[in-house]
Amino acid sequence: MKTLRLSNFGVRGFVGESLTPETVLDFAAAFAGLVEGRRVLIARDTRGSSAMLHAAAVASLMAAGCETLDLGICPTPMLQFSVPALGAAGAIAISGGHHPSGWNALLLIGPDGGPLEPAAGEQVLDAFHAGAFAGRDARSIGECRPVRDYAEPYFDALERRVAADAIRAERGRIVLDPVGGAGCDFVTPWARRFGVDALAVNGEPTAYLARDPEPRPRNARPLAAIVRALGGRAGFVFSSDLGRMSLVTEAGEPLSEELTFALIADHVLRRRPGAVVANCCTTRALDDIAARQGAPLVKTPVGQAYVVSAVRDEDAVLGGEGSGSVVWPAFSLAFDGFLMMTLVLECLALGGQPLSVRLRGLPRYEIVKRSVACGPGEGYRAIERVRAEFERERPPRLDETDGLRADYDDGWVHVRASRTEPRVRVISEARTRAAAEARAERMIRWMALGGGS
Amino acid sequence: MKEALKVGISGVRGVVGDSMTPRVAASFAQAFGAFVGRGAVIVGRDTRPSGRMLERAVVAGLQSVGCRPRLAGVVPTPSLLMAVAETGARGGIAITASHNGEEWNALKFVDRDGQFLSPARADELLDLYHQRDFALAAESELPTETALSDAVERHWTKVAAFADVAAIRRRRFRVVADVCNGVGALHTESFLGETLGCAVTIVHGAPSGRFERDPEPLPQHLDALCRAVRAAGADIGFAQDPDGDRLAIADERGAPIGEDCTLAFAVRHVLATRGRGPVVINLSTSRAVEEVARAAGCPVTRTRIGEIHVAAEMRRQGAVVGGESNGGVIVPAVHPCRDSYTAMALTLELLAHTGRTVSELRAELPAYRVARRKLPMDAAAAAAALRALRRRYADRRPNLLDGVFIEFDDGWVHVRRSNTEPVVRITAEARTESAAEERASRFSAEIAGA
Repeated sequence: MKTLRLSNFGVRGFVGESLTPETVLDFAAAFAGLVEGRRVLIARDTRGSSAMLHAAAVASLMAAGCETLDLGICPTPMLQFSVPALGAAGAIAISGGHHPSGWNALLLIGPDGGPLEPAAGEQVLDAFHAGAFAGRDARSIGECRPVRDYAEPYFDALERRVAADAIRAERGRIVLDPVGGAGCDFVTPWARRFGVDALAVNGEPTAYLARDPEPRPRNARPLAAIVRALGGRAGFVFSSDLGRMSLVTEAGEPLSEELTFALIADHVLRRRPGAVVANCCTTRALDDIAARQGAPLVKTPVGQAYVVSAVRDEDAVLGGEGSGSVVWPAFSLAFDGFLMMTLVLECLALGGQPLSVRLRGLPRYEIVKRSVACGPGEGYRAIERVRAEFERERPPRLDETDGLRADYDDGWVHVRASRTEPRVRVISEARTRAAAEARAERMIRWMALGGGS
Repeated sequence: MKEALKVGISGVRGVVGDSMTPRVAASFAQAFGAFVGRGAVIVGRDTRPSGRMLERAVVAGLQSVGCRPRLAGVVPTPSLLMAVAETGARGGIAITASHNGEEWNALKFVDRDGQFLSPARADELLDLYHQRDFALAAESELPTETALSDAVERHWTKVAAFADVAAIRRRRFRVVADVCNGVGALHTESFLGETLGCAVTIVHGAPSGRFERDPEPLPQHLDALCRAVRAAGADIGFAQDPDGDRLAIADERGAPIGEDCTLAFAVRHVLATRGRGPVVINLSTSRAVEEVARAAGCPVTRTRIGEIHVAAEMRRQGAVVGGESNGGVIVPAVHPCRDSYTAMALTLELLAHTGRTVSELRAELPAYRVARRKLPMDAAAAAAALRALRRRYADRRPNLLDGVFIEFDDGWVHVRRSNTEPVVRITAEARTESAAEERASRFSAEIAGA
């Protein structure tokens, strides 16, 4: 299966099939044209293909005369934070993120540390498609040098933004799982900084994935048992780039990844009211929380680039996605795992309640996520069939921000073609699990694709 | 104008940022990796600023097809060739445009025996490159890059085992080396100083790849070396090209003796001290070399221009020494490749054994002088000019092995298209400098007017 997904903020594909050195060379060359040979940062995760893709990207940046600062193995959000801090014109992050083994991606970062602005990204795509790359002559080849001292300024800034003393005073024990990814080597400095007794599972960097890297309850079960056994205050499950996180309670209950953003939004908005940005298939709990605090909620298509773009436009205090991501512009323009974990600990420290108790104050919905395999192009036809059914049914509200979303009094259902795999994704949320599942099943029948998982 | 990518027996060569791009380098590395199969491939480079960039692209290309890059860093090309043969690697890639200007760079492909790909194997590689259907490795099969840090050490060890190091060290020679801001800037001082016990002065010693001297070690480019020889009162001056395979010599008075003499000294000394045997040289090599060999009773064969042609013929014949007129000395007992370090050791050994000066040794060589010309000319015009020349001198029965080679009583003229640049090269030899210059000018005018 040839699977290459290009967008104006990155390229994602399957290594050895669609994501080849040529693709990366060209994409990085197109990006280098945008930043016109200025300073660019680059970093990667620990996956087996990341070093190869890194070598290709560095070659193109050097060829275009960029001054390339190589952060080595570094979580994507830490790279994003470092872009404005190091005065760079942009960055390339190489990470498979939450995608399974074999996938990898280049994410393009703009000068403010957020995903590249759509207009700038279009310029990159145009150059990529036209094959129009500005090669420099032998005298103006750029240099690439390693940078190693970026973590301290990052943790300094994080410490300044939160109630660090309150977190330290708790002396809490936690368990976390960075899936052998880019965050591993930064766990100890983080824990020392905030006085946390942190035990890492899958805490050594590995070229292969020790588990499914998507932070979901089903991938949190082994960790959940450890949290309870060790009397931890919470468990934290990450994707390999540290861009996503799900939680485990002190009682060992793995929480839906939807609750990460909800909990942090509830915590942050109480202290700093303002606009919030969420994608169009984030739990309705966010709508409720925002309404409770009188905060305007802006909805966007799915993806960090869209959320951060709206955060910039709306001057929002917070953004995120139900998949377990939060961006806090007071700190950086990245979906950031260390930030999320620190904010959750701050929330617990200031509230003086265990996580399970704190959650009782949040609106809870049952959410069901399904995906159905389909051939290239079939997904869009399936969504057309769903649209026809909705037009017959006439739900109270139909939204086309990204795919199709129908809202009902007790919940909603959303369908869209995956941007990364030949699959259609269905999300259904309701007050009860039965109602959510019934609506998801009905949608899958409407799609008439056969198969499913 | 866009400079064409030159793909030939000596690899793929182009102007950086124009025809030599990371994309070209990665694709050729993929083709080479697919060609030699999964396993270690040693990658080395010279000091050109584009070298690191191309190395990154080559690494990505090799890894993508499942080859394990072993990075030798900035090393002489002969060190790389030896390392491939000694470490059991699948092959090697040298990132160097050798004596071409700094705007150029190139990839040269090394077979597992530590020699450049034969013309037939190079054709197969090119065929694979054009088919572009490489079997890419899955993520779980991708090897990581590692460093190979002892390539130069291995090289020095081999040369030291061959040369009479004790005799050289006893003389404590004063030596000046013009390393042309190339690989020698990192390695030549340790070789001459530590291995051979010389007092060394380095000229153009910044390893910048920004050549402060024309990278071809021709007499007219060696002023700085010659001045330094006189200033230091040195016994000899050596001039390397940027990747350390060719060597030219200046005598103790600070006069360049012509790069043909490098090979003549080596042939004379090897045949006198290591036993006699066949000698192989290329068409453009001075008759002085031929006469030195014949005087020692050894047969001489002339081949087409190009290291690979000379090395292949040497292997066929079991030759003991050979090389090229441009200062490329090949001693198979060390390794069957051009090596300026072997040439330096042999020359110093010759001085030590004979007790004579460079100028005295030069005077003992048969008196011939070479003159060279270079005419910019595209391929079609060059082919037409060569055809016209061949007809005009048909009665002299020109040798057509490589271009047109015409013999005269007192010398010869050789006219050919360059393998590496869009130029026609004219080399003329005669008994005196003025006669050689006159002959080169005459043929140059004939070609230009054709």
